Order: sequence, then C-alpha cells, then structure tokens
Amino acid sequence: MMVAGCDVGSLTSKAVIMGDGKIVASVIIKSKARPGDSADAAMGQALSKAGLSMNDIACCVGTGYGRDRISFVKEAVTEIACHAKGAQWLVPSARTVIDIGGQDCKAMRLDARGNMVKFTANDKCASGTGRFLEVMARVLHVELDDLGTLSASSRSAITLASACTVWAQADVIQHLNSGVPVADIAAGINSAMASRMSVIVNNIGFERDVVMTGGVAKNAGVVAALEKLLGLRIKRVTRADPQLAGAIGAALIAGERAQGGKS
Amino acid sequence: MNSAFMEAAISLNNDYVREWKEAGKKVVGYTCSYVPDELLYAAGILPYRVRGFGATEATIGDTYFGPFICSLPKAMLQLAGEGRFDFLDGAIITPGCDSMRRLDECWRKAGEDISGILPKFFFHFGVPHKYADYTVKWFIEEILRLKADVERHFGVSVSDDRLREAIRLFNKSRDLLERFDGFRTAGNPAIAGTEALAVILAGTTMSRDIYVKLLEELLETLEQSRGTLKDRTRLMLVGSASDDVNLVRLIEGERAVVVADNLCFGSRFHADRVDETGDPIEALAKRYLAKNECPRMYGEYDGRLKMLIDKADRANVDGVILQNIRFCDLHGSENGLFERDLEKAGIPCLKIEREYGPLVETGRLKMRVEAFLERIGQRRQSA
Amino acid sequence: MRPELKEYKFDSMLLSTFTAAAKLRNGSEKEYRTMLKYIPYFNGTVTAVLDTGEPGQLFIECISKYLENYITAREKGFHNAITTFCFSPGILYAMDVYPICLEVLSVAQTFAYRRGTAEFLDFCNEVGYTETSCSSQRGTLGAFLAGVGADVDMVLTDTPGVCDTNANAFAFAAAYLKVPFFSLDMPPVLSEARSDEYHNSDFRALIAFIEKHTGRKLDIDRLRTVLREIERQEELVAELEDLARMVPNPLPVSFNLMVYATRFLFSGMKECTAVLESMLRVASDNASRGASGLSGSVEKMRAFFCYIDHYTNSLRLWDFLDRNGICYQGNILSRSWSNMAPHVKEYRTEAAAYSFDYGDLDAMIRTMALHNSRMPMIKSIRGPYDAPDMWLQDTLSLAKMYSADCIIYNGTPGCRNTWGMVKLFARDTEKAGFPTFIMYGDAFDDRVESWEASQDRLEEFLRVRRLLV
Repeated sequence: MMVAGCDVGSLTSKAVIMGDGKIVASVIIKSKARPGDSADAAMGQALSKAGLSMNDIACCVGTGYGRDRISFVKEAVTEIACHAKGAQWLVPSARTVIDIGGQDCKAMRLDARGNMVKFTANDKCASGTGRFLEVMARVLHVELDDLGTLSASSRSAITLASACTVWAQADVIQHLNSGVPVADIAAGINSAMASRMSVIVNNIGFERDVVMTGGVAKNAGVVAALEKLLGLRIKRVTRADPQLAGAIGAALIAGERAQGGKS
Repeated sequence: MNSAFMEAAISLNNDYVREWKEAGKKVVGYTCSYVPDELLYAAGILPYRVRGFGATEATIGDTYFGPFICSLPKAMLQLAGEGRFDFLDGAIITPGCDSMRRLDECWRKAGEDISGILPKFFFHFGVPHKYADYTVKWFIEEILRLKADVERHFGVSVSDDRLREAIRLFNKSRDLLERFDGFRTAGNPAIAGTEALAVILAGTTMSRDIYVKLLEELLETLEQSRGTLKDRTRLMLVGSASDDVNLVRLIEGERAVVVADNLCFGSRFHADRVDETGDPIEALAKRYLAKNECPRMYGEYDGRLKMLIDKADRANVDGVILQNIRFCDLHGSENGLFERDLEKAGIPCLKIEREYGPLVETGRLKMRVEAFLERIGQRRQSA
Repeated sequence: MRPELKEYKFDSMLLSTFTAAAKLRNGSEKEYRTMLKYIPYFNGTVTAVLDTGEPGQLFIECISKYLENYITAREKGFHNAITTFCFSPGILYAMDVYPICLEVLSVAQTFAYRRGTAEFLDFCNEVGYTETSCSSQRGTLGAFLAGVGADVDMVLTDTPGVCDTNANAFAFAAAYLKVPFFSLDMPPVLSEARSDEYHNSDFRALIAFIEKHTGRKLDIDRLRTVLREIERQEELVAELEDLARMVPNPLPVSFNLMVYATRFLFSGMKECTAVLESMLRVASDNASRGASGLSGSVEKMRAFFCYIDHYTNSLRLWDFLDRNGICYQGNILSRSWSNMAPHVKEYRTEAAAYSFDYGDLDAMIRTMALHNSRMPMIKSIRGPYDAPDMWLQDTLSLAKMYSADCIIYNGTPGCRNTWGMVKLFARDTEKAGFPTFIMYGDAFDDRVESWEASQDRLEEFLRVRRLLV
C-alpha cells in the first residue's frame, strides 16, 4: 500500500511517497508563492519519479505552514507531530528532536513510540531560524550550503550579535570591512545560531539520542557548535535527507490513518 | 447568547455607551482591574475599561512609546490618537505595570500634538503592590483622593449609601458571573470560551444595572440550552491581558473549548466580592487590593499556582495555555514557573508568546495550539 | 551552559579573580606587566582601574571583600540576601545580613569575562524567565538559578512601583529558589507626607521581616554607626560633586563609576568611605592645580548620562570618553539626594531630599527609610517622567548645573520604564537646548549591539551635532 506525505514550508516544500515502510520517492523543491502550487509541484514530481499517479496513493497527509491549502490531502497535521514521527523513523533511538526550518525552530521530546511528549518553538524573530543563515550567507557572498564547510577552517570565531538578524548583519559587514577571515565570520554565525538553539533545547530538557532535522541539520558548522554547547554528540541522520523528516512523518501518519487509526 | 454581548465586546463606542452619553451622562475610562469602578458608578458615571481592541496600526503608538514596549498600551494610545476614545470624559491611569503606567505621559504628550484626544479629567491612580495594613491604609487614602477629584470635577457627590448600593449591585453581577462559569465548566458546556469572554468583556463597557439584566436573561437561556461541546478538548487560558475574542476563537478552532481562564478582562473580573458591611471605601480597598491573581502582586507565586491548579481541577481541563504578550515580563516569566509546576502536577501546558493587536500571527499560533491538541490527543490514546 | 561553568561556584571564581587583581600591584612593575599578559580579557579593566592609583586599588579590594563577605556569611553565623543596586545595603549591614547585589555582580562579570554573562543570561530563559527582561539582574540571576552561586537566605528588593522587570526578577528568584521574599513598595509621588509615612511603615515591616528570618533584633547602636558612616559618605560625595562643577572637571572619568559602585556595595561601611576619601584626595589635588581629570589633560566636552553606563568589557565606554577629551558629568546612579548634595542646595529641593536624624530609634529608622527611598531610580523613576522631582526635572537641573554639552541615554532593551518615556524625554531635553542621544545597546549584553557598533553611532552623533570636532 502506498501512502504519501507533503510538507509545505516557507522556503522549501517536500513530498515523500512510502510503501511498506520504505521511501519510494522523495522530492525537495523551492516553495512557490502559493502553498497550493508548491504542494502540487512537489507531489507531482514525486509521483512521476515513482511512476505513480495520485490514485495509487491510499492516503496522503499534509503538514507545514501551508498544510491547510493542499487540495489532495486527507488530513492536515502540524509539523511538530510530523517531525516527531519522521525523526523517529529516521533514528529509532531519537528522544529529542531539534528542527530548524526556514522560519522557525522547534524542539520536541518523544517517547519510545514517536509520540510527542513536549515541544517548544522559538517565539522571537528570524534569529535562530534558517532565514538567519540565509541572510548572513548573502551578506558574506557565499552559498548557504557552504556556511558549514567554511567554518571548519576557522581558527578564531567572532562573537556575533545574535539577538537580532538585522543588527547581526551590520556586525558582519563591519567584520568584513575590518578584514576578518570569512571562515571566522562563518564560524561566528554558526555559533550564534547554535546558541539561540541551545536555549530552546535546554528549556525543554533533552534526553538521548538527540537528533536534528530540517534543512539546517545539513550545516555541519551549526551541528558541531550545538554539540559543544549541549555537551553531547548529536546523532546524525543517515537513513534519508533530514530535511524530509516532516514529509516522512506525514506519510507515516497517512499510513496509520489508512489502516484505520483514529485521527 | 444575546448578540448584545458580542456587539459590546467588539466595538468600542457601543450602543450602551452612545445611549448613556445621549442622556447627558459621563463616561470615565480606566486601564486596570485594580480600579474600584463601583466608585464611578456611585457617582453616576459609567466606568469604561479602556481597551486596545481594534487598533490596526501602530503609527501613533510607536511615535510616543519607545520600542521594547508591550503592544497593549501602544494599541490603546493608537485608538486614543485616532479619536476612538473621544466619548471618554475622563481617564484613570494606574501603575498596573510599567508599560501601562507610561500610558499617562504618552497620552498627555500625544494630546499636546493631537487636539481633543486627551480627556479633561485625567488621573494617575496609585495601587500598592502588596497587601498589608499600611498599604490598605494608603490605598483607602488614594481612593478617597480619587473620589474627591471626581466629585470636584464632575460636580457630583458620592454618598456612602450610593456606594453601598453600587457595591451590592456589582456583587450581584459577580454572583451571576459565577453561576455563568458553571455553564462553561459543565461536562457538556453550553457556551464556548469565545462567547464567554465576550459576555465578561461586555460587562466592562456598559452600565452595571443593564448588565445584570442581560446576565439574568442569559442565564435563563443557558438553563434551557443543551451543551454541544462535550467532545472538545478542554482548555484553560492564562496570562497577559486579552480583550480580543478572536484570540480565544483562534485557540478554540474546531477542536477545543476554553472552559476556564485567569485573564484580566476575563475571570479575574468577578473572582471575589466586596464586603457589604462596614465602611464602603475600606471594603473596596480591601477587596481590590487583595486581588492576587495578577503577577504585579509580587511574592505571591505559590498562592497563584494553587489557585490555578484548583481552577484546572474544578473545570476538569485537559490542558492549560499560558500566553503572554511579547515584552510582558510579569506574565511571561510567571508562565515559565507555571509551566514547570503544572506539568509536574500532570497538567499539560503550552507556553506561547504573542504580539497584541490584530492577529497577524494566526498561522504560527494556530500551529502551536494544534500541535498541543495533538499532544493531548496522543496522551489520551496512550493512557 | 558550557559544562566548565558548572564546575565551580561563579562567585568563588569571581572572588579569586578580584582577590588576585587586588594583589597585582604588590610586585614590581615588570612583574605587573608580565601578569597582565596572562589575563588577556581582564587586563583592560584592571589597568583602567589601577591606573587611577590608590582609589582604583581600594576599589578592587572592595569588590573582593564584598564577594568574600556574602560567600562566607553563613559559615560565620551570619546571613546573606540577594538584593538590588537601588536597595541601600546600610540596613543590611546594621543587621549582619550580607548583600548580594545582582546588578553589580553582573558588571563585575562583564568587566572580567570575554563572554560577559552570556550563558547565565541564557540560562534564565531556559528555565522560563523571559528574554525580554532586563539583563542587569538576569546576568547574575542565571548563575544562582543554575545552582552555581553561593547559598542564599532571602531575596529583598525595593522596586515595585519603580521598576517592574527588576521586582519581577527578584520575585522569580525567590519563587524558583524557594527562599523568603520581601519587597518595599514605592508610591508614585515622592515628596508628600503620605509617601513618607508609607515608606516608614514599609521599612519597619522590612526590619520585622529581617528580624524574623535572622533571629536577631535590630541593634540601635549598630544602626547609628551605619547611619553616621552613610552621612560621612554623603559629605564626601557632595564634595566630589562640587568639584565636578569646575571647568576643567578635576575628576578622572572613571571616578563616577567608582562612586556609585562602592556605594552600592558598601554604603554604611568603612570600605566605601576609604574609596571616597581616596578619590577626594586625587580630585582635590587636581583641582588645586586647575588640572583636568582626563588623562589627556584637555577637556573638549562635557557629557551628562541621564540613565546608566555601558558595561562592556575593559571599561571601553570610559576609555572612549577619556580618549576623546569628554569629561563625565554624572548619571542617574551616582547622585546622592541628601540635604548636603550641591544640587539640593542649588535648587532648594530639600523636600525631595532627606536629612540625618539620630534622635531615637524611630527617628533613625525614618532616616534610613527616607534615605532608601531616594536611592537612584527609586527616587526619580516613579510617577510620570515630567512630574515634580522626577526624571526630567532631575536631568535638566543637573545637566545645567554641571554645564553639560549633551545628554546621552543608555540602558537595556529590558527597561520598560525608560523605553516607555525616553522619546518624550529626549524631545523635552532637546527643546531645553541639550543635544540628546539615545543609544539602543544593552549595557550588560554585547550580543544585542556590539560595543563597536554602539561606539560608531555615538561618534556619529557627536560629529553630526558638532560636539566633537
């Protein structure tokens, strides 16, 4: 039986098709202006990758900020519940999940069945989200994906004003003008990000294994900085792209619904 | 539910205020639940709780207030600056909290730039932050000071008898609201939180004798009606002041019902009674100062925690939403302690911070509330 | 919080730091210079303070002694209390309760550590305290909440009615640490009989509270000794303030900080008096030669800080002022409001001030209550900013008296009070002829706006308004 999950985020949209507990096809695209269009595009690409049509999907669940605008889903579930489920599939030993998406960051505690026991999310602004890194990368004139590898060669990370993205920008420009190596600035940016995250994680308390999902999980610099602050090793996600966690969770929940599970 | 309540809750210059003014009578606004509005009623003046509801911009608010300030007083100033409070003949500002107390100078200075927006009677009413014999004494003196100024400015005289009458009437409304609470917390609630907040809010915008009549009618109707909300997740709403029914509507959505609250503009309004015996001013001072539901009364956390746990138990809630307006440190921090202790007591909590004003963050708030409901649902399933 | 921070009590670490700093000058000049290399993030602060000579040496010893006092209080059979800077410690010393002033300890850390109090600030948020609260308490509060501070007997504050975020911090601390809590309440009006009575009754309740929680009674002789010492200190401060009116100002820039810091730490005790006497010697000496207190000896400008300073590492604010020939005409923290103060005499504001009455126990308690109610901020941040005896009146009269060329506001984003009125205030001070600059940084947290950015903007203001050519 085929099920699907669609995660429409502010920066990226993801679609996952699963069968027999395995990923059959998955897609990550840049979100369009309208969430409905993003969902259609993502799911369309996933279906053609899998060589299937929507009729072949027994059940589809939507999540992400655009979840209520997806025409082809049976149910909309919050990304918190979906990330929790998805993270548990990705790393069965996961008990704490940190998800840094485009416009917010969340931390969740799970029980052994992937049920969410507690969650918290950032309530401030862009700092501590993918948006922050995006803005900083632009100021540094580097690719967002390079921020992680760049910082690895840093010898002396700068301390960045981490409270406000706008002011942090001004700081970065100042450092650039003073000739500070880009690697050090990148390291400072990752550190600032990690320090914002650590407050949220500590607020919820963490239990091993700690796992990161969402796009920022692929930034080795932030992950390393966060490990240092929390004082433990973050279990890397290798089973699939961590950015797919929400869509995977949605697909798994779709599976539960299809088998008659209560909503 | 009589649409009059919702009407009053979502419009500032509602029918009751209009009729009152057309009859040549006065209206005095007050900004904090620590002002003994019985005094104004006894003076033949309509006490009107100043609100920020309906402000869609922050242009005036932001001009006078600096940044890093709670958006509630800014919204109030915005409305005042737009002339939306022109029906007020007076305003009483209290140090409910730092942000609110600066409404005093901000409104006055805005009044220098924008003519006609500053009510002629403008009074800074001090309220102690704790309950002790000397603070009660000081507060009695402050109420007498207010009384003298009101009498002088409006050319009225407030007799003790009139005060006692007002106290009895207001107590009656509190009794009725307590009965009303019962319909909210019933196993099968006949009224949702959105409407309930509107009912309570309405009481701050109209003459109390009219309000009592409306409440009596409402209670009769509720006696007859059948509850329809028994399958919803039961929540209690706690935290920063909220005069916006839309916030509750957003929280309730299709799946939840707010059966109880500890909000200013909400249940704190009728939490207790004024002593009907003895000196009325002293009775007012004691009742209003003894109100401990607000974190402005420092050092009373343990009492407030117990009060919340009792409330949660009696209302049989599934979860508590602890919300605070951004920059509201009093509620925001105490919510942190509540979250810790309520969770320890086995009551699931959601702590969220929001901006006051037209609900621009509906997506974000909705997601968190829904995730919280999902969490409660999962908890129920595994139980 | 990094695991390293949990290995030692933060205050014991601070104590070691400042005790060692106090001994730096014991060796030769060469040894001193060598040692400085080993404290790369602290040497800026150390040299800035020790370069003032004897006053600086005594000042560092004060900080060390203060820490030692409260850390060892309990083992010596005394008590300690978390308290705030605007709560005069005189009464506490009179009752053998050693104060733990959160704000001054935050400053000690921002002066000593590269990362300042960042992790303690964050820890508060982790346990549910709002991030938007004032960083002055939060920086040290976090350490106590995390259990890496000394054990504490009680929490005291006097800011309800003056500063909510402050009062809230202490209420939170008491609830979290589960220790007894007392707050003095401040009515909106300062100088009327009702307020005096209120302050007096409240203060007596405070004394009763302390007596209850320490098991000791207030001793009239101890109280008298402490009050006499406070009076002596007010005399010294009045003299220093008089000297600051001179042109050029003979007081070195950092003296202002040392005046208020030592008073917050040791008001009523000889340690404070010693620092003030030493400062007066230096200042008088400068004055007798008509010399400026600035290290460059040329006074280009006089700045009045209407609120607080910026406590970034290495006293960089004071260094900035000194380097640019800007002398410091005071801020809200350094003013004394006794009847001896020059501005009280100048403007005849005796009703807003207080005098010392040793008649009997009641008179002395009343004196202490009034003295406390005129502490910085407690005095002037009550009712509306433009009410009599409040912030605007104080600022304008002082700026005028001390011939300030401009007014500078610096605070923290957590200050609901000032941010609720600073725009109105600045409009009025500009109208009164004082170029006024509002800084948006955080005095206790460089992560909000880096000092470099703050300095840039301050320089821009001075340039654009042609105050510094």
